[in-house]
Amino acid sequence: MYELRKVDKKFPGVHALKAIDFQIGRGEIVGLVGENGAGKSTLMKVIYGAYQADGGDITIDGTKVRFQNPRQAMDHGIGMVFQEQSLITNLTVMENIFLGFEQQFVSFGVINWKDMAQAARNQLAKVKLDIDPATVTSRLSFAQRQLVELAKVLTLEERVDGDLVILLDEPTSVLAREEVELLFSLVRDLTSRASFIFVSHRMDEVLELSDRIYVMKDGEVVDVVAQAEANVDDIQHKMVGREVDKEYYREQKQKPYRKEAPLVSFKDVSHGARYQNISFDLHPGEVLCLVGTEGSGREAVLRTVFGLETPTAGTVSLKGQDVTRFNAQNGVAAGVGYVPRERKVEGIVGGMNVYENMTLSQMGNYSKNGVLRISEEKSLARDWIDRLSIKTPSEYKDCGGLSGGNQQKVVLAKWRSGGSDIILLDHPTRGLDIGAKEDVYDMVRDMSDDGAGIILVADTLEEAIGLSHTIIVLKDGIEQIRYDCEPGNKPSLFDLVHHMI
Amino acid sequence: MSFERIKPHLPWITLLALVAIVGIADANFLRPANLIAMAADIVPLFIMALGMTFAIYIGGIDLSAQSVANMTTVVATVTLPLFGVGAALVCILSGFVLGAVSGYVTTKLLVPSFISTLAIGGVAFSAAQYLSGQRALFMDAELRDATFGWMTGSSFGIPHEIFIGAFLVLVTWFLQTRTTFGRALKAVGAGEPAAVAAGLDVAKIKIMAFAVSGLLAAVAGLLFSVKLSGGSPTLANGFLLPAIVAVLVGGTPLTGGVGGVINTLIGTLIVAVIRSSMLYFEVDATKQQMVFGLVLIAAIALTIDRTKLRIVK
Repeated sequence: MYELRKVDKKFPGVHALKAIDFQIGRGEIVGLVGENGAGKSTLMKVIYGAYQADGGDITIDGTKVRFQNPRQAMDHGIGMVFQEQSLITNLTVMENIFLGFEQQFVSFGVINWKDMAQAARNQLAKVKLDIDPATVTSRLSFAQRQLVELAKVLTLEERVDGDLVILLDEPTSVLAREEVELLFSLVRDLTSRASFIFVSHRMDEVLELSDRIYVMKDGEVVDVVAQAEANVDDIQHKMVGREVDKEYYREQKQKPYRKEAPLVSFKDVSHGARYQNISFDLHPGEVLCLVGTEGSGREAVLRTVFGLETPTAGTVSLKGQDVTRFNAQNGVAAGVGYVPRERKVEGIVGGMNVYENMTLSQMGNYSKNGVLRISEEKSLARDWIDRLSIKTPSEYKDCGGLSGGNQQKVVLAKWRSGGSDIILLDHPTRGLDIGAKEDVYDMVRDMSDDGAGIILVADTLEEAIGLSHTIIVLKDGIEQIRYDCEPGNKPSLFDLVHHMI
Repeated sequence: MSFERIKPHLPWITLLALVAIVGIADANFLRPANLIAMAADIVPLFIMALGMTFAIYIGGIDLSAQSVANMTTVVATVTLPLFGVGAALVCILSGFVLGAVSGYVTTKLLVPSFISTLAIGGVAFSAAQYLSGQRALFMDAELRDATFGWMTGSSFGIPHEIFIGAFLVLVTWFLQTRTTFGRALKAVGAGEPAAVAAGLDVAKIKIMAFAVSGLLAAVAGLLFSVKLSGGSPTLANGFLLPAIVAVLVGGTPLTGGVGGVINTLIGTLIVAVIRSSMLYFEVDATKQQMVFGLVLIAAIALTIDRTKLRIVK
């Protein structure tokens, strides 16, 4: 009844959805799986109206529809249960359920709370949640909030003629096993009222709940499997798919790292609930890749090395010196350079030009008694603009106006020109086009050759495997397995996925 | 040509337009003697606005400037007989310390600067009341002339205030454009997360910005006190709004990161022209603050960068 035909979505530099065909029948539960960046969330957003497709048709019962915003999608019976919960925690449950739709309870400008409470009770009954609708939401457990969120979406039933489609985005990620069971049985019961699209990282859950499963990769649906024929291994193979081109990741340029004194050393380091008992050594010339899903602790480890996070237990040492005070100044002083994922926010300062950005972390090298030697800064910038072929009209250009790839080069130049030899790369190729990605891979190899140690959180698994000497797989903050990755003897995508989820 | 492209040039275009309008209305306005007198008159306000520029440049604000200047008028008057020229040092130091405290409260206790500086302003105001015994104090004319007479004299027909203003704008301009401190201020104003990730000691930089603001507010107070030969806890009242107007109209937006001290020079001149035009157009002096309030709202509404300030409360 709800159908997408050849739906396309492009962002600058990224073809996020390529001719997607997708359909869901009345009372059906459809699973949606794929790696990070496969296009799942973009697809969800197109379905519930947050994005508009660039091409293709969306039809409900054969009628073409086009949603300008989520509200219009809701008016057609499409609701979303958000992963990051959308409830306002200082409002009561009933206020949340009817947020924006209070008008039905208003007479003479005043809300009739009794009517609203009664209506809220009816909604809560649908999700079998027996709580007072006047409870303040912050008092509820996560599982209860999830159900309230579902109840809120189910108010569509009364408001909308026709069928409901409800999207569940990672609904189980914060739930305990019993709570997951409860949610699943509830969803199955609710198929009499609505169809569901279920997105999760946990493959076993998707298999358990879904009637059919869409497998996505690189913005395409690579397969649709019925529950009866589905098995975890096959789906995982399809998720990671294509053969890796060894040239692409400059594998031929990978040289063994030097088994000298480590640049970074973690001994049983823990950080609250983020990660526990992580130990590793990073050597000169080594590319060490942390692999795991979002929230597995890989970013937290990176930020600890740089000094932005203070661990709760264990010893971190940089070049043999134990770190006692964790802050970015000490990190930079020890030779750590951080290339953050949020390039425009943490990487470059928009509004400052190329040379100002390049020397920002090392102004001490270009000043005397606090007075800058600006001509030296400029010649440094010109030098690195040449070396990394940064496409900019001049060193005076505002970095905010450069393309993503060139911004990334400026960030790398900032650290490399300052002599940083511990480089932390957090999704260094995110949002870059293929040419710019290859430039980044070349720079990674060059830095290794110069004896820098690199800790990488890669954008894709292929990238992780292609680039690294060592891979540590993390799950829920705990090391699962470690691979040595000499060229020709690298783990497969499937090996990694298997340990990640 | 779109508004976004004209925006950076708006301050000096406004200034020229205003001068032209007032000049056409009354040619006397354009007489050099009048212009010089007008410029000399605005210098204390200009110095306060220079300091304010530092607070606003990093995306904060300093609402204590007026109270700090008030306090300084009292401190200067009280300490002049005790320390002579040393009184100036006491004034400058107290302004610096109060500014640094505001900065500390803002960065370490995470109290937004509009509150922390308001509170510190209250402290400064009380201190002024206490020190003055809530009376207007007067400087001994002879002592004042002997110690600080050079501030208010004139050479080659130009009042010394103008030299002081010119000197300070050069110093702050150097600070802003040629030093690591100035560069760091720009980075904090334009992209604080990136400044943190580049390993800058952002807290220290912010504290220093507020300290400079306090210091210059104190210098403004000192000069004003010498000019009027006395001190009182309310002497500099009416400075705050025009000082903020001068910074914002000059082109340093509330979100920080662009503009700077030269912009504030232009902004202050705009304020000066508006102020004296009121005389020419016979607008009552009591209505001055009303006009500046409206100008402030108009300036912010026209120039603020909505992409940086998504939620306004």
